[in-house]
Amino acid sequence: MAPERLHADITMAEKRRAMAGSPVCRAAPGPVNETEFLAQSGAKDMLREAVLKLLEARPEEPTAFLADYFEKLWTGSGTAAGEKGVHLLAQQRLNRALWYLKLSHHSQRTAFNNNLNMAYECLSTGGRKKKTGLTGKNYSEVLSSICQEGELPEEISCELLRKIKCRDHEAVPFDIFRYGVLTCFVLLEFRSKADSLFSVLNKQGPADQRLGKAVLDTLEEALVTSDLFIPASYLEAGTKLGPDGLALAMDKAYLGNNSDATISRNQFLKDACALFLYKVKPVG
Amino acid sequence: MSPERLSQPGAEYLAQRHVQVYLEDALAQLLENKDEVEPQGSTAKFFAQYFASVSKGTHVLFREFGFVQITPHNRASFLKIFWRCFRTIAKNGDLLSMKEYHCLLQILCPDFPEDLTQKAARIVLMDDAMDCLMSFCDFLYAFQIQFYYSEFLDTASALYQDLLTGKNANTVIVPTSRSATSRQRQPPSDSSSQDGVDAPQFCQGLESLCERYRHSCPPVPLIGEILSSAPRVSFYGFLMALAKHPGINQSIGALPDRAHLLLDELLDKELDRLIAQLSTSSITHSPTSSCALISRDIARVASPRKCLATRRRPDLESDGSTEETDSSES
Repeated sequence: MAPERLHADITMAEKRRAMAGSPVCRAAPGPVNETEFLAQSGAKDMLREAVLKLLEARPEEPTAFLADYFEKLWTGSGTAAGEKGVHLLAQQRLNRALWYLKLSHHSQRTAFNNNLNMAYECLSTGGRKKKTGLTGKNYSEVLSSICQEGELPEEISCELLRKIKCRDHEAVPFDIFRYGVLTCFVLLEFRSKADSLFSVLNKQGPADQRLGKAVLDTLEEALVTSDLFIPASYLEAGTKLGPDGLALAMDKAYLGNNSDATISRNQFLKDACALFLYKVKPVG
Repeated sequence: MSPERLSQPGAEYLAQRHVQVYLEDALAQLLENKDEVEPQGSTAKFFAQYFASVSKGTHVLFREFGFVQITPHNRASFLKIFWRCFRTIAKNGDLLSMKEYHCLLQILCPDFPEDLTQKAARIVLMDDAMDCLMSFCDFLYAFQIQFYYSEFLDTASALYQDLLTGKNANTVIVPTSRSATSRQRQPPSDSSSQDGVDAPQFCQGLESLCERYRHSCPPVPLIGEILSSAPRVSFYGFLMALAKHPGINQSIGALPDRAHLLLDELLDKELDRLIAQLSTSSITHSPTSSCALISRDIARVASPRKCLATRRRPDLESDGSTEETDSSES
């Protein structure tokens, strides 16, 4: 594909050069022709769709995002009529679904929900334009790909998948799909937050074990003891993790501290993730 | 994740990243190339290629000047292309005149205006002896400043002239204090012509200028750093310092730093390989006559290499012309 594109790039550039040399005699096609062409090619709608997706996702580099978007659009339309193997098609659908899921951050709920829908649609379509529904196998594949790309350690992702995966032959309803995918993304974010928390502890020399433990305990208290069905418990958890609450716990730990034991980043992250996993409700 | 970007109004986000420019251009290019694009299906392909080339920075090749300079990204892309296409000049150590550099620029952008090239040359030559020859490096970094910050430099120049003639609104002459008035009067009369203007004052003016030019001016802390090194500064001295400052080059992000300007690992490796092959094959020729036993082996190994080397040699010589395809590759 790359050489082909290079070629297209060059021919386009060559043409521009030829045109720039003779700006006067550039054949100007009639405007009717152009509007017709635009209507035929569907360029307008295509661009409108693209801008909507762009606004949902707000990527740092819009042009790279658009290039990727159109690339997917193009390969997607090409393979619908293609004669590739079933396995390859399945792989492509998986990639496409993952791409949808990553288009926008999960905290942007409307955009993320739209993309979840698209991904679900995409995964549920069978080989011959037949709706087969999402199987547990494909669902697990999506989840493990998300975990892999987020560089989640094997043991944690196994534990997570054990809780939220379905049996291979089961049909996965949208709600479960949404729950599973969202859980993966939130865990990844939780882990990166825990990681930056550890970096703070680790700033001046190796992180102290007691301090690390105090932080984890506070985290545990906030997470584990809270009841998800009582809205007020969210606020309680927030106060427990607020700067003063956390500082109090750390201060207490620091005063009674006279050991040199340290805690490693991996251990800290593992413990933090275990707290999260404890809260994940198993499906089915 | 930058939260600012996510909370921005949509129109502002699009405008800040100049998305509309590229959308319009994509449509215009589509219409221009419509004979080659079939109506169905391949429109997406065309857009994919267009935006890929925008994000790679090859989209400004052979385009009209109006488009080349319209966004900061386009300017940076053009600088990169210019560097990649004509890097060999620097490698050979050739010195060129302003007119010759202008011709090179016109190869890439047919209607490139001469006054920009001229201004860049002024920075290198410190506004003196304009028919001098310049090295590629010197010209390139000066050109980068001039081209990328063109509008900012124009206003800065006006500000400088105002300061020189003492027209600055910030200058407050306190009539009661004799020392102040004498200090204020002195600079324009004798030291201004050779010493330029008061650096902190110039810096202050530029800072307020930068506030207005939010997106196309050098980073303010770096301007402060440059202007704090001496009490007085001349305009071309300031431009030269801008051009030579590695931090500014980094913030534009189009060119590598000066030390790495001529390094291109792929090309260099290729060249080294060729040279190594040439030398081994030429060395292996001499022992062939003396020691027949080894020579047969060597000859067998060396012959395909030699063949490759001779085949590649024309590439080596016409390096300048092949650069063009090279630049659109990555």
